[in-house]
Amino acid sequence: MQRSLSFEIFRYTAIALFLALSLIPTLWMVSMAFKPIAEWQASGADLTWWPENPTLDNFRFIFGQSASELIVALERTAGRPILASLLSATFGTLIAMFAGTSAAYGLSRFGAGGNLPLALVQLRLFPPMAVMIPVMIMWAFLGMIDSWWGLALIYGIVTLPFAFWLMKTFFDDMPREIEDAALVEGCSRWRVFLRITLPMMRPALASSALFIFILNWSDYLIALLLTTRDWVTIPVYMASLSSSMTGQLYGAKAALGLIAAVPPVIMGIAIQKQLVRGLTFGALKE
Amino acid sequence: MASISFRNVTKRFGDTLAVDDVSFDIRDNAFFCLFGPPLSGKSTILKLILGLEQPDAGEILIDGRPVTHIGPAKRNVAMVFQNLALFPHMSALDNVRFPLVERRMPKAEIAAKVSAVSEKLHIGHILHKPPAQLSGGERQRVAIARALVRDPAAYLMDDPISALDARLREQTRVELRRIQQELGKTLVYVTHDQEEAMSVADGMAVLRDGRICQTGTPEELYRSPNSTYVGGMLGAPAMNVVPITMASRLSVDAAPRGADQLGVRPENLRVGVGEAGTIADVEPMGAFTTLTVQAGDTTLRATLRGQPKYTVGQPVGLSVDPGRAHFFDEGGAALESARREEERT
Repeated sequence: MQRSLSFEIFRYTAIALFLALSLIPTLWMVSMAFKPIAEWQASGADLTWWPENPTLDNFRFIFGQSASELIVALERTAGRPILASLLSATFGTLIAMFAGTSAAYGLSRFGAGGNLPLALVQLRLFPPMAVMIPVMIMWAFLGMIDSWWGLALIYGIVTLPFAFWLMKTFFDDMPREIEDAALVEGCSRWRVFLRITLPMMRPALASSALFIFILNWSDYLIALLLTTRDWVTIPVYMASLSSSMTGQLYGAKAALGLIAAVPPVIMGIAIQKQLVRGLTFGALKE
Repeated sequence: MASISFRNVTKRFGDTLAVDDVSFDIRDNAFFCLFGPPLSGKSTILKLILGLEQPDAGEILIDGRPVTHIGPAKRNVAMVFQNLALFPHMSALDNVRFPLVERRMPKAEIAAKVSAVSEKLHIGHILHKPPAQLSGGERQRVAIARALVRDPAAYLMDDPISALDARLREQTRVELRRIQQELGKTLVYVTHDQEEAMSVADGMAVLRDGRICQTGTPEELYRSPNSTYVGGMLGAPAMNVVPITMASRLSVDAAPRGADQLGVRPENLRVGVGEAGTIADVEPMGAFTTLTVQAGDTTLRATLRGQPKYTVGQPVGLSVDPGRAHFFDEGGAALESARREEERT
């Protein structure tokens, strides 16, 4: 269909507008992260889009070096929270993916655990607070408060339904004949899973894991309730970046936000090939 | 080398009876066709032979040995799936040698077998490619090579060439026949194409709703179908099945007692001078011509050699080659074969 020129202009204008709307806040954060204190505190006519005197002061500040203009002393630096976030989100994702994938395969292929889909949803039927307070009490009883593994465990539990549902859809879509063929050609059930199913599911595993990692990475509520001091995560730490004297430390927050955006982006780029690759293209007759 | 036997095998999926009390024997080295419309149980029978499904009742024997409780990997039967089921994440080569690698065969032996089979199927030049980069016919060959590469007791093929275009299908059909004869192995072939079944099989079973209607050689089934269903399934154009009241109009006498329907194959219907019907349509096909004749309320099809000159609306006389009329009772069962069975007992 031949589209008219005016329609094309309208189309690209609309796309540009939506892009700007969604990207400007992010760009603003990037810009702010490199502004010295005078610039990010500025308002009104003094406001600048780009840092006029770009500096790494904000980054130095959150990692504990006193920046000349910021007289505030930080209770703790960003290093430990970044480590906490990395450990809890990564292991939480591993737990969710391992348990969710196994359960999804069992249900998809053998009908194992017929009530599982609903049972898994029940955790999300209640307001998060109603679930998290009892969890907090249990975790306290088990001595898992303020530990990265306690956090990883609950992350794994709350994101398990996502891993399960995503992987079940992928398993359901995979043609049964491919596994049948491997069975006939001499594989045991386990061999089929390891040699055929898992390699074929790599794109599915990668995209599900990325999705779940981002969920875990951006959690605030759970970390707020289950960590107190040693293992607070990036979002919780970020909330603490303010003082009675200076108010919100926007520059420092922007710097931390920029750092927080890095792991998901790296993961996304790393698995990009998997994300776009067709799942079973070429295996079957069209 | 294997014969395959079903003894009263039944398989249910929920409420549907996929295979209903089926018994048959496939002799060693046969090219055996399971023929029937979609959902008539053909594919389920293959899965039962493979061990991918377990029968609810009855027994399956391979080489006289009950295999009901033997897993698919140990049954030594190879399969070409309808959608080919190549492993998309492996190259064609890895696909072909997969059965041997899984059976831990020495590397040198694997290489020898793979090169032998790829020569036979002319796929040597495409072995490095993944299935996604192969054409339909090439994928076909790779899938067949994967089945042929090891030395199974029998090969099963589930309509493996249905996706190919007509010309390629014909070629592959001939080639399959040749390969089967070379290998000297039992081949069970599922198809819904009567021409395919008739042309390659030396034994076949016609299925309907999970039951076997008739087994025999294609010639036997074509010559003496035991029901209007089998008669109608084999041959194109299909057998004319008309009420027995048409017998006099077609100059057929000596209908057996109880005859309710009369079956005449289009090539056994003679068209001559007379007033039995009028030509409704003429389809010249080259080597033969198909006529559609309106005789009273019934429409009959006749195939004649060459391109005889007939025009639409022309009145014609009809008769049937002597001894080539089929008689069926009310339920559609053949009367002739019933009589033959009586004689036999």
